[in-house]
Amino acid sequence: MDKASHLSVILDLSPVQWHLFGQSTNPFPLSLSSFLSQLLAFLNAHTACKDENTLAVFGAFPGKSVLLFSSTTGISEGDLGPADANTYRPFKMLDATIMKSILEELEELSGAQEESPLGLVGALTKALCYINRTSSAASSAPAARSEETNLPDPRILIISVSPDQPSAYIPIMNSIFSAQKLKVTIDVCKLFGSDSVFLQQASHLTGGSYIFLERPDALLQYLTMSFLPPPALRQLLSVPTQDKVDFRAACFCHKNIVDVGFVCSVCLSIFCQPVPVCSTCRTKFPIKTLQRLNASKPPAPTANRAAIPATSLPRSTSIGSGTPRLTPLSNGNGTVHPPSQNGTPR
Amino acid sequence: MPPRRITNIDDSDSDISILDDVDIEARGKAKGKGKAVDRGQSSKSKSKAKEQPYAWEATYTRSWDTVQEDEAGSLQGAVEDLIARGRRRRLLAPAAAIRRTIIRHLILILDLSASMLDRDMRPTRFDLMLQYAREFVTEWFDQNPLGQIGIVGMRSGVGERAGEMSGNPQDVLRAMHERHKLEPAGEPSLQNAIEMARSSMSHLPTHSSREIVIIFGSLTTCDPGNIHDTLDECIKDKIRISVVALAAEMKICRDLCDKTGGQFGVAMNEGHFKDLLFELIPPPAQRAAVSRAAGASATNLSADLMMMGFPTRLPNTSPPSLCVCHSELKSEGFLCPRCAAKVCDVPTDCDICGLMIVSSPHLARSYHHLFPVKAYKAVESLVDTPNPSPTCHACSVNFADVALPKPGSAMEGMSPIGRYRCPDCHHDFCTDCDVFVHDVVHCCPGCGK
Repeated sequence: MDKASHLSVILDLSPVQWHLFGQSTNPFPLSLSSFLSQLLAFLNAHTACKDENTLAVFGAFPGKSVLLFSSTTGISEGDLGPADANTYRPFKMLDATIMKSILEELEELSGAQEESPLGLVGALTKALCYINRTSSAASSAPAARSEETNLPDPRILIISVSPDQPSAYIPIMNSIFSAQKLKVTIDVCKLFGSDSVFLQQASHLTGGSYIFLERPDALLQYLTMSFLPPPALRQLLSVPTQDKVDFRAACFCHKNIVDVGFVCSVCLSIFCQPVPVCSTCRTKFPIKTLQRLNASKPPAPTANRAAIPATSLPRSTSIGSGTPRLTPLSNGNGTVHPPSQNGTPR
Repeated sequence: MPPRRITNIDDSDSDISILDDVDIEARGKAKGKGKAVDRGQSSKSKSKAKEQPYAWEATYTRSWDTVQEDEAGSLQGAVEDLIARGRRRRLLAPAAAIRRTIIRHLILILDLSASMLDRDMRPTRFDLMLQYAREFVTEWFDQNPLGQIGIVGMRSGVGERAGEMSGNPQDVLRAMHERHKLEPAGEPSLQNAIEMARSSMSHLPTHSSREIVIIFGSLTTCDPGNIHDTLDECIKDKIRISVVALAAEMKICRDLCDKTGGQFGVAMNEGHFKDLLFELIPPPAQRAAVSRAAGASATNLSADLMMMGFPTRLPNTSPPSLCVCHSELKSEGFLCPRCAAKVCDVPTDCDICGLMIVSSPHLARSYHHLFPVKAYKAVESLVDTPNPSPTCHACSVNFADVALPKPGSAMEGMSPIGRYRCPDCHHDFCTDCDVFVHDVVHCCPGCGK
């Protein structure tokens, strides 16, 4: 840990999910307050690792997202109350600010707001904007300053308790690609609920780790052992990496998460069932394709497999011969026309 | 001395002997294409500016007037302002509705003839070409994640397939990795190479683009037949040919590009070579339906609905099993969602059930084109805002309290107070975030879409 690192933490603070999580019917219930105390210990550990380490904490509440704490903004002295000889001042500042802003935000939530979808995308994009701002400020600043403000290892830790929102598929994917561009690692710590397809992809694509906690009551141990070391160190530490990555996507029409979809060849929109007209680009699809896809929806389509030889170069052959198999798709049942001709039958 | 300079010599003679205004006329005729234009611009820009300035000259003619020093005499603020303004202008540029090809297929033809050993580009044309070609491939796959590239070399009068069509950048880069396998020799043959590229693309479906990019260093081509027949075939197959020449313009190269709708350029120096090559990276606008015999309906005909499966990736810690593509014992792999067969790599077609297996992030890379973020409006003043937020909604940077009056800022869509407001969620964003959100994230932090 010779370099300073930046950590942005995104907290999923959905009251409904935390209530469900805290119920004693769960095998390992975890209440929000005990979660926060474990989390604060982790955040303190991060700031204590190195003086120059920076931290930003974002909260994703239903319908909105808020920056709860950032180590670059100053904190007014009055909030802290009397100095305590037994606590390290920066720790106290961090703890007090985070707790205070979480409390404020939760109290502001009205009953109707609690139903609105979680502002995870907002929090994620804000974290990216924050990293972009701090890192670009560092690069444009004079050389003397850049060394201390530079963020060599920016990473984002998402602590999630809510299920996936299929409606947020495209924004989440866009955020993942921008994280890739900024070379930001996204770690995901899933505490409760089922596996999140999108967050799995996020950590896989950015080289982070996705950990589903089997024992959420041991949260602090997971956090310190897996998420405290910066990504550069993790290769040496054999951090638990993710098991399977589910590459499923959400369809555009019903926002279902699908594993077999129908894709428009013009704009690549995904649909969960054959549609006559693409809703995104208004392309009309040939009626024959629809009939065939509808007919072959449960079983396999009748693509002619015999034409593909299993050669010794399967990677490139499967690519090279993979695309031509689209041709029978566009031309109808079984009859294969020369693909390069423009005058294929309508 | 490479022969490409010859074209310039008679031009530059006229520079010395003829009076300025005569020279302008002479040059006006002489500048047809290629580098005569560019050279004329650099050497004669002053005299030209009086008559009819080029568009790019006009933009920067009086740029020094707009720069103002701040109190400390520093230009930093002014420069940053100019940069921000430029980015903002690019952002506001009207996005004309052009239909672009997403699924691209490209054959990169590299000249591996003896002329590539010329040292007019450092270190040699060949080394520079390999270096730029690698960068080209990386960048190309970044912008065209669904595309595929194949590599063909021209050497000793024949076309050599150096790399099969592949959608994996690593495969393509590996084909160019071993320099000694591509050592230049002999004469190039345009026809052989193009025929080879054409035959490897002729089976492709109609909804994908077929392109050939030729990096050509020689001034000759050694063909077995009539290259114009090949050209006609390419036009028929709708293959777009682009050529980056390193030596000089050849009539046949120009014809290949013009008739197939590609781009032609002669590299003047190393930087220009890279520029020419990298201009070919963004997806080309699909050729207008007019040029097609069948008209507009033909474009719709080529559109189709495809069935695709999104696999599950197994980690390398899973118990090993045989893959269906190589029959090898492996831990990692992708599971077909329909028949649960294990394949080694995506995108591919499942060898068992024939389902097209793609990784959904590949598709998702293009979605920001479909759902762009609305342009933020520049906030002129805070008069009609009852409760302005003190910080940027995205990065929480504090906004400047007082407006800095800058000349002409309002008309260029710049906000004098550095605030840009989303038309949907009415949150304010700073200049940096405005550009970052529209250029990179493609998702508004306020509305979350």
